[in-house]
Amino acid sequence: MSTNPHADLAVRHGQPPSAGSLSALHELASRLAAQIDSAQREIGETRAILKDAIDRLMPAFTATRSGDTRPVINPSRREAFSALQFQDISDQLLAHAQARLNFLLQEMEAVIATLAAGGERPEVVDQLTRLVASANGNLADLDANLLKPVGKSHLATGEVELF
Amino acid sequence: MKTILTVDDSPSIRQMLTYVLTSNGYEVIEASDGEEGLALAKTHRADLVLTDQNMPRMDGITLIKALRRLPEYKKVPIMMLTTESSQALKQQGREAGATGWMVKPFDPEKLLEMLRRAFSQTSA
Repeated sequence: MSTNPHADLAVRHGQPPSAGSLSALHELASRLAAQIDSAQREIGETRAILKDAIDRLMPAFTATRSGDTRPVINPSRREAFSALQFQDISDQLLAHAQARLNFLLQEMEAVIATLAAGGERPEVVDQLTRLVASANGNLADLDANLLKPVGKSHLATGEVELF
Repeated sequence: MKTILTVDDSPSIRQMLTYVLTSNGYEVIEASDGEEGLALAKTHRADLVLTDQNMPRMDGITLIKALRRLPEYKKVPIMMLTTESSQALKQQGREAGATGWMVKPFDPEKLLEMLRRAFSQTSA
């Protein structure tokens, strides 16, 4: 067995990887999966914080004074309405980022499960090869299913068109 | 009083729309996705529908197609209010029967002006 766990990570044609390389790959995959899981949770927390902030702000902007049946939307309030929509727009982007990370995590977990199962090493290589093919297919589906929701990088109000 | 059906999965956007519209004399019915919007449209006759595009269960363009199949919504103005601004999607919306398209974030005054124009086109 090699003393360097990274020495033969590359599988040479016709030769199965050594136990050391599979062990190193398993460890790396587990650590990467943990990072993805953390990033996904942090994005979830960010979405929750943004939503909470907007939910708390909204009543202040939509409140009407007693007897004020037709409140005027003054210019500063108009600006605030446009800016408050930032949460809706950014939440869609964050949701997409979460979906992508969720995909990565599932694929990593499949790799980890295969490596953890051990067994005959040539079988592991076959299984990993099948996983790669499956992951490539799933990746194409992910991109097809995730419509990019926002093409904006600023908060200028959008255009209006009547057909 | 004109009744407007707003369809958006974002509670904050629905809340803002309701505030702006009720402040200007419209009655508002809210739905959180296309399916709920379609169900409400069948039980409450709306004078105008304002819908988002990307929503769970049923998106805006699918909702427009479903509404246009209902006799009572053949001529009702249906406006898209969405972050989407691609010409291809706008064309899909137009073909589905959308009356107009407004890109988020929306400006309250521009929204109200768009509604006035849509109502005036309907009554012309």
